[in-house]
Amino acid sequence: MSRSLMLALGAVFAFPGLSAAQGPAAATGGWVGPFAVIAAGIGMALAAGLCGLGQGRAVAAAVDAMARQPAAAARIQTAMIIGLALIESLAIYVLVVAMILLFVQPIKG
Amino acid sequence: MEAIEHPPIFRLPAIFSDGYIPDHVTYTWLVMIILTGIAFVASRRMELVPRGAQNFLEVVLEQFQALIDDVIGPEGRPYLPLIATLGLFILTGNLLSLIPGFAGPTANLNTTAACALIVFVSYHAIGIRKQGLVNYFKHFMGPVPLLAPLMVPIELISHLARPLSLSLRLFGNMTGGHILLAIIFFLMGLDGLIGWALSGSKAGALVGGIGGLIMVVFTVGFLYPLKILVSVLQAFIFVMLTMLYIAGATEEAEHHHAEHH
Repeated sequence: MSRSLMLALGAVFAFPGLSAAQGPAAATGGWVGPFAVIAAGIGMALAAGLCGLGQGRAVAAAVDAMARQPAAAARIQTAMIIGLALIESLAIYVLVVAMILLFVQPIKG
Repeated sequence: MEAIEHPPIFRLPAIFSDGYIPDHVTYTWLVMIILTGIAFVASRRMELVPRGAQNFLEVVLEQFQALIDDVIGPEGRPYLPLIATLGLFILTGNLLSLIPGFAGPTANLNTTAACALIVFVSYHAIGIRKQGLVNYFKHFMGPVPLLAPLMVPIELISHLARPLSLSLRLFGNMTGGHILLAIIFFLMGLDGLIGWALSGSKAGALVGGIGGLIMVVFTVGFLYPLKILVSVLQAFIFVMLTMLYIAGATEEAEHHHAEHH
């Protein structure tokens, strides 16, 4: 029992190390790698939260308009989807920057 | 990116160099084969009353045509081949990446940037052909000549940002979804490992079995429908923005003239 428990704990603790070995930290070897991970995480969190706020406002206004005028629902929905895509692309930019930081690693420190 | 991506099922060896043809190129060819095959089957024996594949493709293309009529107007019908090809290619590429073992061509920035550049060049070409070279670029200066030094940089940047946002939106959405799926599958493997390590006791089977079941239900019941929705939505948005750009390039003239007279 104790051996299998150790195996389980080893699996849990070995996997982050394993993923880090092929991922960010080991590839750069310097101090930029960890900071890139932190920057990617914080940036994505900020972008996702603020993008959610913006999309919530847009959807609220669109649903309000649809409830007032059900006849125009189709056109409002199309405009809403386009607007949501434009708002969402801002968060997608941050996602792309985060992926560049994590996987492409242009700055070697 | 290779660290988190599974290798696709088939790869073609490169002819002129060592190694393999990049995956997104191979799977772009697969999408081309699929679309050409469907078109060939549908148009092989055309009938006045369509059946089967011809019926299906006609319904799909009529949807595109209705969308064009709605956004650009009937004068946008000559651009149906461009718009429908882009839409079908992106939709097929998005859906192809949902099949395990297949790499989606649209989850690569090269493919999406190519599509966005095609849109960028063609809507400018359409605008220039409709209005003439001088007339078209006059719109970059805004309504009042006094504002031209301010308007020209803004317009240039906004036009140059269009292919960037088009390509990055599609690429980011697809790749983000793939990373999400990869992380969930990774957790599934980790969970199975814990279950295996604890096996011999009933707790191991309980943790591994129930955890794995939850993961499978979550993936199949929530993530895959979400990814199908995102695939269709992103193809729709790409096509919609293309049509809006073409409409903007062709319509500005009438608007401008109406202001002057």
